[in-house]
Amino acid sequence: MRKLHKSLQAGVLFAAGALGLTQGAAKADEIVIGASLPLSGPLAGFGSFQQWGYKHAVDEVNKAGGIAIGGKKEMVKLIIRDDQTNPNLTASNTQTLLSRDHVVAMLGSCTPALVNAGALVAERAKKPIVTGCDPLQVFTSVRKWKYAWDIFFSVPDLTVAPFKMLAAAGVTTNKKLAIWHDNGPDGQANGKKLWPAFAKKFGYTVVQNAEFPINNAQFTSIISEAKAKGADVVLVDAVTPPAVAIRKQMASEGYKPKVLDIEKGAEPVQFAQALGKLADGVLVGGYWDPTFPYPGAAKLAKDFEAETKLTSSQHIADSYAAAQILLDAIAAAGSTDADKINAAIAKTNKTYVVGPIKFAADHTATLPIVSEQWQGGKTVIVWPKKAATGKLLFPMP
Amino acid sequence: MPDFGTVASAILSGLLLGGMMGLIALGLSIVLGVMRLVNLAHGVFLVMGAYAGLYFLKLTGFDPLLALPLLALGIAALALPLYRYLLAPLAQRGPEAQLMTMFAVAIILQNLFVFVFSADTRSIERSYATLPLSLGAITVPLIYVIGFAIAVALILAIHGLIAHTGFGRDLRASAADPAAAATLGVNVQRVQMLTFALGTACAGVGGVLIGVAFQFSPSSGGAYLLNSLAIVVLGGLGNVPGTLAGGMILGLLQSLGGLTLGDGYRDIVGMALFLLVLVFRPEGFLAARRA
Repeated sequence: MRKLHKSLQAGVLFAAGALGLTQGAAKADEIVIGASLPLSGPLAGFGSFQQWGYKHAVDEVNKAGGIAIGGKKEMVKLIIRDDQTNPNLTASNTQTLLSRDHVVAMLGSCTPALVNAGALVAERAKKPIVTGCDPLQVFTSVRKWKYAWDIFFSVPDLTVAPFKMLAAAGVTTNKKLAIWHDNGPDGQANGKKLWPAFAKKFGYTVVQNAEFPINNAQFTSIISEAKAKGADVVLVDAVTPPAVAIRKQMASEGYKPKVLDIEKGAEPVQFAQALGKLADGVLVGGYWDPTFPYPGAAKLAKDFEAETKLTSSQHIADSYAAAQILLDAIAAAGSTDADKINAAIAKTNKTYVVGPIKFAADHTATLPIVSEQWQGGKTVIVWPKKAATGKLLFPMP
Repeated sequence: MPDFGTVASAILSGLLLGGMMGLIALGLSIVLGVMRLVNLAHGVFLVMGAYAGLYFLKLTGFDPLLALPLLALGIAALALPLYRYLLAPLAQRGPEAQLMTMFAVAIILQNLFVFVFSADTRSIERSYATLPLSLGAITVPLIYVIGFAIAVALILAIHGLIAHTGFGRDLRASAADPAAAATLGVNVQRVQMLTFALGTACAGVGGVLIGVAFQFSPSSGGAYLLNSLAIVVLGGLGNVPGTLAGGMILGLLQSLGGLTLGDGYRDIVGMALFLLVLVFRPEGFLAARRA
């Protein structure tokens, strides 16, 4: 029995272990940039798109002959490490990229927990990092940044979108609202503060406000409570695995609200692929679509789909633009000196695939928000009217 | 205060889900009982079962639950070379060598899944998996009832196999004292190999059920491994009916924990129970009989 207990204890210890990945060092005559991305774990659905966006931008620059440094053209090498959706790994990956791989600048990970963890390490090392995928107010709440730059949406823009969309659509609900959010930084910002505040402003009654860990898999109690309280509108902030679990468990619990909006988790196409018809009618805020009137928008999605045979995601756009901004800055600086690159990023004033980018004093550039809805395995823009590509499916099937 | 329907639904859902967890934990329990091995790849074998079910559905169009025996055999067959070439050579080198080997296997398989299937979240899409079953104010997911029925049938079958067959007698003898069993003519290595395959098949079948009822990705196995460890401790090592009861008790307590503290605190209840049983009743809370 003692042996068994020893085995059991060792088992639990090993079960908590983690895996690190390593990659080769850079050559002397190339410009090395790095990124730590969630290529596995709950955020892998975002990471794979970001990886493509970053690589695509770097490939385009290299195909055009590289970037001139001190008058000599050099190729760009992008080193990507998997952070397994673990902020501690993002920080250690960033440290490794800076100290061992000698990157001259960084590109960000995804979601505030990961992006901020990497950005803090880069900031300490005084190396520039350009990122998307980090809501602006959460990004700026961390510190006054000197070397980190963020292009993404404004949190209030995203959180108010479902209310504005429902008002514009003129649909009728009982105005009873259930809010379910994870305990990550953006989940708490949306779920605890912004959604309740906007609910009050738009005349909704919050009948439930439930918080859960980021990787939670069981939601039966939360769903039962919302069902018992008769909420017609459910707003959720969760990453993709729990988002899939929530939608599936809502159906198996027999709960059919009229409106279901799932931020973050309903963005990647794997959400719809995992759920099939159950994804129909689910709303999610978006900041990019191939139909947007910016140069290269339609082509970017086309390139992605031709290359990967997968449906594109908005995450290819902010990652592609972030990489382009960094590469443009390195070209403008004509140097791999961190401070010169950083100064060039600050001067960015150009229209990219996500729209015009000019950084504010707090190192942020805002992307506009639209409301999208899954319909037949694809997202259509349902708000605002000027950008709409389809009609709102109401009530949710 | 939640109403009667909510509480009753949570209790019943917890018991049903616990039954499914009991089947998964049984695989871990028999391997631990016979081989003295905490199979750290057990959760990954579960994920393998889920992918097997998903691709069986995609490639054949047939419901994977109807093909559970076939899928179980396939997954068990994959376990045989793992035992023969990785575990058997280490049998005389103490439990740590085998434990670390299976830890390595778990990492390799998890990364292989990412490479082959991507890290995307998947689910086995079946219409009955999202249907509610209502009786008055009580509502439970239909798939929980289906999964529970399958799990109980398999657990009873394994109980029958262990309690009433020649292989079961050899298995019990090998679990109690492998050296003595060997001197009495039991081929302990063969028993261990078949037990390892049976344990893997339990994980695989559980994986198909989990894939239909919930969602999964290459990294989903860890949570099920930890839950299974708690159930093994609760139910008593090698105690087949105890494992089912342990699963149902854990499921019930997790549901009540979710109801009173919030869904995010379900696992805390399970792990707290795991530690309490280890401290106060290390032979297992329900340990009455051993395989």
